[in-house]
Amino acid sequence: MDFEVTYTEEQQRFRREVRAWLEANVPASVQRIPLSPEDNYQRYLELRALGRTLGAKGWLYATAPAKYGGGGLDVDHAIILEEEVDRFDLSLPPYYDSGGRLGSASILVWGTEEQRQALLPSIYKGEVRTWQLLTEPGAGSDLAGVRMTTAVRDGDDYVINGQKIFVGSDNGTDRIWMIVNTDPKGKRHENLSWFMIDANLPGITVRPMELMGTGGEGGTDSGVKQTVFFDDVRVPAFALVGGENKGWKVATTHLELEHGGGGRIGRNRVWDRLLRYCQETKRDGVPLSQQQDIRDSLADIYIKTEVQRLFGVRNFWLTYARKPKSYEGPQLSYYRKTTGLWMTGAILEAVGPAALTTDTIWGSAGGFLETQQRNGIVSVHPGGTTDIQRVQMARRIGIGRSTREAAGTVHGGDA
Amino acid sequence: MDLALTESQEMLRTAARTFMEREAPVDVVVGLQKAESSLEPGLWRKAAKLGWLGILIPTEYGGSGDRLSDAAVLYEELGRGPLPGPFFSSGVLGALTVLEGATEDQRRRLLPGIASGERVLTVAITEPNASWGPAGITLAPQGKNGGYTLNGTKLFVSDATSATDLVVAVRTGEGTNDVSLLHVDARAPGVTTRRLPGFLSWQCEVSFDNVEVERAALLGEAQRGWAALAKALERAVPLLCAYIVGGCQAVYEKSVVYTQTRVQFGVPIGRFQRVQDHVVRLVNHLDSARWTTWEALWKLDTGRPATASVHMAKAVASEAYLEACNAAHEVHAGMGVLIEYGLAAHTQMSRTLFHFLGDPRWHKRRMADALEW
Ligand SMILES: Cc1cc2nc3c(=O)[nH]c(=O)nc-3n(C[C@H](O)[C@H](O)[C@H](O)COP(=O)(O)OP(=O)(O)OC[C@H]3O[C@@H](n4cnc5c(N)ncnc54)[C@H](O)[C@@H]3O)c2cc1C
Repeated sequence: MDFEVTYTEEQQRFRREVRAWLEANVPASVQRIPLSPEDNYQRYLELRALGRTLGAKGWLYATAPAKYGGGGLDVDHAIILEEEVDRFDLSLPPYYDSGGRLGSASILVWGTEEQRQALLPSIYKGEVRTWQLLTEPGAGSDLAGVRMTTAVRDGDDYVINGQKIFVGSDNGTDRIWMIVNTDPKGKRHENLSWFMIDANLPGITVRPMELMGTGGEGGTDSGVKQTVFFDDVRVPAFALVGGENKGWKVATTHLELEHGGGGRIGRNRVWDRLLRYCQETKRDGVPLSQQQDIRDSLADIYIKTEVQRLFGVRNFWLTYARKPKSYEGPQLSYYRKTTGLWMTGAILEAVGPAALTTDTIWGSAGGFLETQQRNGIVSVHPGGTTDIQRVQMARRIGIGRSTREAAGTVHGGDA
Repeated sequence: MDLALTESQEMLRTAARTFMEREAPVDVVVGLQKAESSLEPGLWRKAAKLGWLGILIPTEYGGSGDRLSDAAVLYEELGRGPLPGPFFSSGVLGALTVLEGATEDQRRRLLPGIASGERVLTVAITEPNASWGPAGITLAPQGKNGGYTLNGTKLFVSDATSATDLVVAVRTGEGTNDVSLLHVDARAPGVTTRRLPGFLSWQCEVSFDNVEVERAALLGEAQRGWAALAKALERAVPLLCAYIVGGCQAVYEKSVVYTQTRVQFGVPIGRFQRVQDHVVRLVNHLDSARWTTWEALWKLDTGRPATASVHMAKAVASEAYLEACNAAHEVHAGMGVLIEYGLAAHTQMSRTLFHFLGDPRWHKRRMADALEW
């Protein structure tokens, strides 16, 4: 066993190349905290531009197959890229692209060759960003219960009607990756279908939802969540991925990845900033990090973030070394969610009420602690609640049922 | 033994609940959340008319002089909102600080206005060090022409943006407890109040820039401020706990109703044992807060030694509200984080009150001291 990622001469050269490139090409301005909605939009445009330059080099979706426009790189190179991007407090992609990440992986497994060729390159090259639309007012945890949003075949097209909630982000989207009901009278798990559609079609309306926070999915905060309405939206039949009424099997791939199956490597940014804050902030003349109570709390927090990191590293390795998986994906999700929620109390107790304010004088830098206070609660829900993660874990461990449930397929095409 | 409310307490509860349902339903509470001032004039006037602002103020100063446990019935109902406004800040902590710390003259001048709602008095104790003990009070006035000049900052002062009057705890000597209380007009030149932005409810910054006050502004005697505050806090804390109990109760009821009405996988979510577990956890926190609070109130009202109980109640209640909200969020998932639903107002309040008047760690230590272990 070897926890250390060792790098060959060639990989070290790659790191130097990546670092030099990023230093030359990541504008310092993208690290700013936007001051206004306009500024937020400007920053988003800068991140999209960065995404396109990364995409052109194959570094946006590093391990995606080169023949569809991905990087075609191996896991070690991907780790190097992630680590180097992380030094800039960015992730890959450097903006909210949940439908791109999860949709492209699903298309790779379940799409036709024509669909892969048509739909994947623009995602991998950063030309489009994509939202994922699953949840409906009546279907949250019970994704198989999607009913309100329907697609009906009409000649060479499908016509979509309905409503999705708690989806998307700020600054709009180019594409939508969505699950709909294609057979209202059909049996459960045999009546769903997935579509990858253009977000600018007539009949699509987007309305922001006011939430307590928006979580920090995939290292990028979506900023806001939306309700999306579909009113006779006509899409080509080509947009249907995985076959009509065959959507459940596609969903297993999507959910496996969303539930942490892919793993994660990289620093825990909240921890890093918390530690720095406690080292730099003095109370009664003594840095917080030197006060025994606070050291105790920090030790507890650190241990949990380390366990979480290790679960992430393990899942990353399992995925890319193509090892069999069972409960590990939902375990990472469960641990991340429960730790985040617990940490809201632990940080509040350690730091005191300064953790609650975004005030530029009395709060933490950029209000990052205040963001954690809200997001630690909110992040319990997206991509399946803690309860659903536990249901999944139990099924895959094989308790309570005669058959053990397998993890969703996450590999497809020629990697 | 009889753990039931008295008949008059039941009547007060009904009146308060009816008021809350009519005047401060969820949409009103949610609508008030972003206001710079927590005081909504219409609600404030009505509450004053009902005698709620003077509930602890003795009749000779214009209040009704009720017992703490009577007031607790009211504060539980307000906490269900959670109703914003300087009800606790002025009507409880403010009034009790004046009662404990002021001269007879000052009481006659200040208390009737607090009872009628014309004066809104908040007590400024904490500073950027966020400490609730006397040692944390460092703001020291300069003596000038027999009066005082104030320069500096008080932080996490609740409801300061709606206050007309401030009682400011200041350092006037070397000994840890050498603290005095100054009565300062909240609108005097040099006083600025500002609600702190973020996930906290009406905790404010109060800055003093060459604020001059007369000698008569000293509340009671010099150096006796901490002793007075400590007495006032001992009686005020359980009422804050009662407000928290009401908050937990509301969060519990919301969660129970949601488990019965929200359907997933073809059944109400209350059928899932995992969801039941969240609600069970929630009610355990609620009841822990309720009974520690009410025993402390009973001890205070009957003149029993209550210090350890008061500290225990706040330690338990602070944690209970935070955990109750966490459990409720697990039950509600997406719906709970939607601002208009109203759970988030409790969550934000639970975080605010976690620390206000001392966090669990602070109170546990004082409890252990009081028990003389
Ligand atoms: C910040 C945020 C971002 C989101 N982003 C997206 C997005 O980009 N795209 C998208 O499609 N959706 C998104 N969602 C929606 C999210 O996926 C749902 O909120 C989540 O799946 C839970 O569904 P629900 O809110 O309807 O809760 P419900 O499913 O109604 O759950 C209510 C309660 O019942 C429990 N429960 C339900 N079923 C079971 C069961 N079988 N066993 C045990 N307990 C159960 C839950 O754990 C929870 O405690 C987002 C949500 C949030 C809050």
